[in-house]
Amino acid sequence: MKLIYNWLKDFVGIKTSPLELARRLTMAGLEVKAVEEKDGDFVFEIEITSNRPDWLSVIGVAREAAAVTNSKLKIKNEKIKIQKPKENQGVKITIEDKKDCSLYTAKIIKGVSVGVSPEWLKKRLELIGCRSINNVVDITNYAMFTYGEPLHAFDADKLASYEIEVRRANAGEQLVTIDGVFRKLDKDILVIADKQQAQAVAGIMGGKSTEVTASTRNILLEAAIFDPVLIRRARRKLGMQTDSSYRFERGIDTQTALVSSDYAARMIIQLAGGNLICAREKGATKILKKTISVNYSSVQRILGASISPALMKNILAALGFGVKGSKTCFSVTVPSARQDVEEEVDLIEEIARIFGIENIPAEVPYVKPQPRARTRFDIISKTKNILIAQGVNEAITYTLIDRKLLELFSWPVDEAARLVNPLSEEQEFLRPCIIASLVRAAALNLKQKQPLVELFEVGKIYTAGNNEELVLGLVLCGKKSVVTQEAVVNIKEGFLRLKGIIQNLFSGLGIAQPEILFNETTAGFKVKLNSKEIGQFVKVSSAALEAMDVKYQEVYAAQISLEEILMQALPEKKFVPVSIFPAICRDISFVVQENISFKQITDLAHKTAGLLLEQVKITDIYRGKQIPQGCKNFTVSCVYRLPNRTLTDLEVSPIHACVVQALTQALSAQIR
Amino acid sequence: MGNTNCEEIKQQAEQELISVSDKQALEALRVKYLGRKGLLAQLMSVIPSLPVEERAAFGQAANVLKNELAELFDQKQKDMVSGAHKGNQAAVDISMPGIACDIGNLHPITQVIDEICNVFSRMGFSIEDGPEIETEFNNFTGLNIPLDHPSRDAFDTFYLKPNAGSNEKLLLRSHTSPAQVRLMKSRKPALSVVVPGRVYRPDAVDASHSFMFHQVEGLVVDKHITLAHLKGALEEFAKAVFGKHITMRFRPHFFPFTEPSVEVDISCIICQGKGCSVCGKKKWLEILGAGMVHPNVFKHVGYNHKIYSGFAFGMGVERIAMLKYGIDDIRLFFENDLRFLKQF
Ligand SMILES: [Zn+2]
Repeated sequence: MKLIYNWLKDFVGIKTSPLELARRLTMAGLEVKAVEEKDGDFVFEIEITSNRPDWLSVIGVAREAAAVTNSKLKIKNEKIKIQKPKENQGVKITIEDKKDCSLYTAKIIKGVSVGVSPEWLKKRLELIGCRSINNVVDITNYAMFTYGEPLHAFDADKLASYEIEVRRANAGEQLVTIDGVFRKLDKDILVIADKQQAQAVAGIMGGKSTEVTASTRNILLEAAIFDPVLIRRARRKLGMQTDSSYRFERGIDTQTALVSSDYAARMIIQLAGGNLICAREKGATKILKKTISVNYSSVQRILGASISPALMKNILAALGFGVKGSKTCFSVTVPSARQDVEEEVDLIEEIARIFGIENIPAEVPYVKPQPRARTRFDIISKTKNILIAQGVNEAITYTLIDRKLLELFSWPVDEAARLVNPLSEEQEFLRPCIIASLVRAAALNLKQKQPLVELFEVGKIYTAGNNEELVLGLVLCGKKSVVTQEAVVNIKEGFLRLKGIIQNLFSGLGIAQPEILFNETTAGFKVKLNSKEIGQFVKVSSAALEAMDVKYQEVYAAQISLEEILMQALPEKKFVPVSIFPAICRDISFVVQENISFKQITDLAHKTAGLLLEQVKITDIYRGKQIPQGCKNFTVSCVYRLPNRTLTDLEVSPIHACVVQALTQALSAQIR
Repeated sequence: MGNTNCEEIKQQAEQELISVSDKQALEALRVKYLGRKGLLAQLMSVIPSLPVEERAAFGQAANVLKNELAELFDQKQKDMVSGAHKGNQAAVDISMPGIACDIGNLHPITQVIDEICNVFSRMGFSIEDGPEIETEFNNFTGLNIPLDHPSRDAFDTFYLKPNAGSNEKLLLRSHTSPAQVRLMKSRKPALSVVVPGRVYRPDAVDASHSFMFHQVEGLVVDKHITLAHLKGALEEFAKAVFGKHITMRFRPHFFPFTEPSVEVDISCIICQGKGCSVCGKKKWLEILGAGMVHPNVFKHVGYNHKIYSGFAFGMGVERIAMLKYGIDDIRLFFENDLRFLKQF
């Protein structure tokens, strides 16, 4: 909201400079975003919180300015004199439902001359960004900015009669509003109608046909109170926000409506002439006084600062509250403009604001130590750290995705959780799988010509029943050299790289290694933990990659559910003594058929060698010129060791010979 | 004749010493020349066969050679120990790229969340999480946000297609505050927690808006918790994250779920209060919102607001990361360009 310094000074005797006033208002919660010197005045740009509709007016801010600068308010509410009606021309007001409209007032002013506004009025309106229309319309606006109550002037002669109805629009009812837009109305929208038809959308905008123009002689001046919720819904439905709807939505009190109507009428008569012929009010004109008690001790209990009751009383009184003190508490009467104040804590806030939060001491709280078992957060942190230690970078991708991405990854669109009100098609679905989003991130990097892209993400996926699950996603692409204990290995096998990363993760978290089984439907692999499926390894389809402009690249990805892992991770560790006796290593190089797995080899070796064989390590695997088609050459190292004594060559040699023999017999290995 | 021989041996030793680079080779060379059966010993062994008049001179020359060789070897040993290959090339071109395993990086958002959470963790807070799919009650009603009120505009929300046969309106949480409701409903006071997580709002994407972003929520509830404690805890936080030299400002504000409510500003860390494009002319940067838990929130979760009081705060992680690292476009966080991710 814009506000000008001199307008404010009409109502409060401040001597504070504009910049200092801006600072004090800001520190009291009325944030002044900018102060601009313009045309010999100062324009304040103020941000007003939604709980303070009273600040949407010069007078409201003046009250605050008076309190923060210890100045006097200069507000006089003069009653206006009603001339005796020359003819019998009373207004009849009918309110269909008092919940929609608790108060409606109408004043008939006859014989006005509509013309341009005086310069001072034009200038003030223009400084706050309001275009000058004509004197009558400008005055209704000026009164609104001054008091906060939106007013509307109808050309009275264009109404069917002086019978006003405040009612819901009929089905199919229509109205062209002042902005020239044709509006379709319905029963959720409140209108001001004459005997024949809707003439204004209540609280939002008047109708074009009853607009005040240069030829208008007689006006009907409306000031009313409408249900904020109703105005808010209608405003949304019609897609129009006005200075008027903005204020009605936030709430206006009876006192303000009555006073500003008088103020505007007086000003119209002063500046545009005419006589007030009739003034009618329908609905609740009585002002209910709220009384709230504030314990002195509560103020200390919430703020942690000792403020004397005398100071509290001064603060509340300066803000317009009626205060009566006793030994332990105040009885506070709330002015009608402060509809936001409902309970003790609201008044404690008032005291804090004006006392100055900067004057409240800062004190680090003593927080009761919580039993600090390892939390999910700790395990997730550990998970991420194990992954980055392996060279994988953390990504964070959008969890909302589009239909196209779902289809590319063959996810049934109907089964995906979906937004009712997406911002765009790009973000219509909640991802059922983390892989698609990560592949998209990988694609972006591949397009940047990154030779190696390895990303992971810890994030949520969502299922049709609106459930969510925390998962780990991995995506790998490009060639990478890895240093293992034995050698530097060039990784071409994406699935084995995935396996390696996951194995390191599981051992890092202290969980038993998962089973990894071929998955016929995806031609990838399933990951199982305690015979429960917890994840998948996949090779991303070239169709999906091509749709993302990625060509000639193999991309591997995995998704692992973290829920099970979080439950099992980081158990107590137990030390296993290390052998102090040396090992004897024997290497074998042999050719086997392609369909023989490494597991078959190790299983056979262990079965044959028994307890002496500690481990079978792979040193090389080779396919090429000297190896027959459909075969591969393994070089493995058998590590023999006993935990309790040193082995001798004499013991190992015959057993190793048995291993070699078993390989040749059971697996048709050709020893080289 | 003897002198010539001696000179040759010396030159040969000097030549061979140049290429020696380790102790073993030096020792082998010492044995070769000065050992019991070394070249010098062989030279000496011819003395008895020489004519008597030559013996003394030859012996003297051999002795000189022996001392010279011993000195050469000693010097070489000293050079090797001090590593001074003066004038020679280093064995390794150290300007070559170092050899190391690649390590990955945590996302800057994760790093900032960790940093924030660690500060509070050290004060004794525990770190919790909460679901992203929330009920309307936890996201709004339980937090004293009326369903049809302008304050809702600040928390514009994505709604989900409801489950078949259910009337419960589900949504993607528009802030981390529903975690407050969950935690208080499931636990008894005292509580001191921080909750980091993703939140969602229907904001069109541009350099400073995103429909998905991260917040860290904080909540402390106990007897005797005051606004003074809120200030103390948040000052500790801001100084830990932005540096000891910053100044802070607590402005009264409005949030439906706290009262009194404040917005917290720090002095601009970019221009140090001179005014810049980040802080505008205000010289202050807003970093978080906070306040004393509203009695209505306590009522909703079944805490007695006459006995307990508390403070809560919430901050946008992207905003803090952008300020800390000088990032000017929020979209960079979610593009995951390695050239970006590798910088942190
Ligand atoms: Zn700055």
